Amino acid sequence: MLKSIPFLDWFQGLKWGDGLVLLAGIGIVLILFKTLWLTESASKVQIRAGNEIFTTQSLNQQRTLDIPGPLGTTVVIIDHGRARVASDPGPRQYCVKQGWLKQAGEVAMCLPNQVSVELLGNSKPYDTLNY
Amino acid sequence: MLQHLMRYADCISSRVSRHDFLYLFTLDIPVHSARFKRKSTSILLLWLCFVTLILSACGREPLYHSQSYVFGTLVDISIYGEQADRAAKLAGVIQQDFQRLHRKLHAWDEDSDLSRINRAFEEGRRVPVDAELASLILQAQRYSSQSDGLFNPAIGQLIGHWGFQRDMFKPVSIDQEAIRRLVNANPQMTDIQLYETSSGIEIESQNPFVKLDFGGYAKGYALDRAAGYLRSEGVRNALINIGGNVIAIGMRGGRNWRVGIQHPRGSGAIASLELEDGWAIGTSGDYQRYFELDGKRYCHLLDPRTGFPAQHTQAVTVLLPPGDHNGTLSDVASKPIFISDDSHRSEMAKRLGVDHYLIIDANGSITASAAMKQRLKWKSDVEVHTIP
Amino acid sequence: MTDNRQAIFTATRDDHHIAKLAALAIGLHLVEAALPTPLPGVKPGIANIVTLFVLYRYGFGTAAWVNLLRVFAGSLLLGQLFSPTFLLSLGGALGSLSILALAIHLPKQWFGPVSLSILAAFAHISGQLLIVWLWLIPHSGVIYLTPVFALAALIFGLINGLILMWLMKQA
Repeated sequence: MLKSIPFLDWFQGLKWGDGLVLLAGIGIVLILFKTLWLTESASKVQIRAGNEIFTTQSLNQQRTLDIPGPLGTTVVIIDHGRARVASDPGPRQYCVKQGWLKQAGEVAMCLPNQVSVELLGNSKPYDTLNY
Repeated sequence: MLQHLMRYADCISSRVSRHDFLYLFTLDIPVHSARFKRKSTSILLLWLCFVTLILSACGREPLYHSQSYVFGTLVDISIYGEQADRAAKLAGVIQQDFQRLHRKLHAWDEDSDLSRINRAFEEGRRVPVDAELASLILQAQRYSSQSDGLFNPAIGQLIGHWGFQRDMFKPVSIDQEAIRRLVNANPQMTDIQLYETSSGIEIESQNPFVKLDFGGYAKGYALDRAAGYLRSEGVRNALINIGGNVIAIGMRGGRNWRVGIQHPRGSGAIASLELEDGWAIGTSGDYQRYFELDGKRYCHLLDPRTGFPAQHTQAVTVLLPPGDHNGTLSDVASKPIFISDDSHRSEMAKRLGVDHYLIIDANGSITASAAMKQRLKWKSDVEVHTIP
Repeated sequence: MTDNRQAIFTATRDDHHIAKLAALAIGLHLVEAALPTPLPGVKPGIANIVTLFVLYRYGFGTAAWVNLLRVFAGSLLLGQLFSPTFLLSLGGALGSLSILALAIHLPKQWFGPVSLSILAAFAHISGQLLIVWLWLIPHSGVIYLTPVFALAALIFGLINGLILMWLMKQA
């Protein structure tokens, strides 16, 4: 079947404008990939409570979230590209002390209240963290 | 529109056959040949197949990921390439086993098996012990002698004195006298004797000051159990993380599992590496369980010789190749290396069979064994010294 | 809506023809509905081959009609009328039609079916992503999926155009 398709005919049908549109299309795709995909900055924040995913939110907003846990409420603030644990009922406050999470892969864990806050990007730099 | 639809129905009922639909693309001139009809049909079908293939490749990945709070810490299980419900069931079994171990080996819960044995030690009694605990203790004895006593799970009393046998660490006023007494009591793993009797195994301690605390040991043991269980169930690709200790099975799709190493003073990773099939990684650090007093940090990693926390190091990471109990070793081995001082470290590592290790000392300077250095990928430009 | 026909053949024959083309478009729409996709409801737009063919043969009005009929009838047949999927198909169709309304005026000696197909494909996914972003899942990170969809639009647009060219040549 393929032998009988006249390829040259096809290319004769293509016109200069077609090539232009094609190149423009490729250009747009490349620009989009470059700006949106290859950046290391995180795009989403995933909050887990207990064994479940509590919510996944875009980082591009200004928002305060209350997450319930066995010890009380953990408060998480999302602020245009970064997130942090504002307050937590746990005794050691490690997750609060961590401050702002800015890069994909960063995690704040409030173990006693069983809440974890993780920044997700398009490519995760690693599958899990050793500590 | 109604006209069109009626004629459409008309057309359908009359004669549209499989080949006729290509007629549509040829106006009303009768089709050139049957060959053309076949060509066009084939091309369109080929195109449809191609599209389907491409789109199904963009589908969901078969990665199951669960996070749960067991063992008083975060447990992260990733299973790749299994049906979601099967993966969930397997992860559930593992989590339950962890809960069981947590209750059994709890260092300060009075009802745990370990506490029962500790009480017997204190009172000089000989009591029965089950096979699992007995083999754990035997193994711990081996590790303890290998590390010249730097790995010493018998110093539970000292750990409790510093306040690390609680969920909350408050700064403790330092009682030099009490610490000296506890150090002089010299509880050692060698003080423990195991006896095989007709009815099972029994245990007793020659030294009433022996109090077992498997804090730096149980997670590694659980890791080995989980990995063994998954392999026996036919799982070929998984990643298990218990409180920071990680072991890998197989690969993640087309690439190796990647593990980040926590920066001891910042959030996020300081480096990452690939964890190949069967390899395990563990870190001891002063940034998870500690308190600060008068500007100094006191962490939970105690030097049994002085009774004080080791204060010259921020973190030690060890990487173990596949082998028996390498999960356990990944938990155990980092502690003696952490506690040793610079001049004795490489010797200690060699004694424990560790070729790959990373040290970040109290000033933040980084040293790594040559083998480890090759595997590490650094987050930012850092100066890394190599141990010859 | 039947105003752009070249009156070489009788109206009845053309009606016949258009109806069959619409049926084909609906058929392709149904097939597309069965294909997997990373973001539910967002489709590459295979049925555009038919839309473009109708555009070339019968003009914009008829093409618009065939395309919209495909969306409504297809969704009706799938039981998805007025569901989010329907909204997405509609968004895609309206997007590509708007672009085609303009593109049809491009000089034919410079811009062939491939150009129109690629432009229509980009407009199609833009319409769909716009609807997702504005109505269906606001505030989401869907913007980060845009590169993938743009690439899909480019590839499918190009191939659709080439196939169309070949099919038209045979006619």
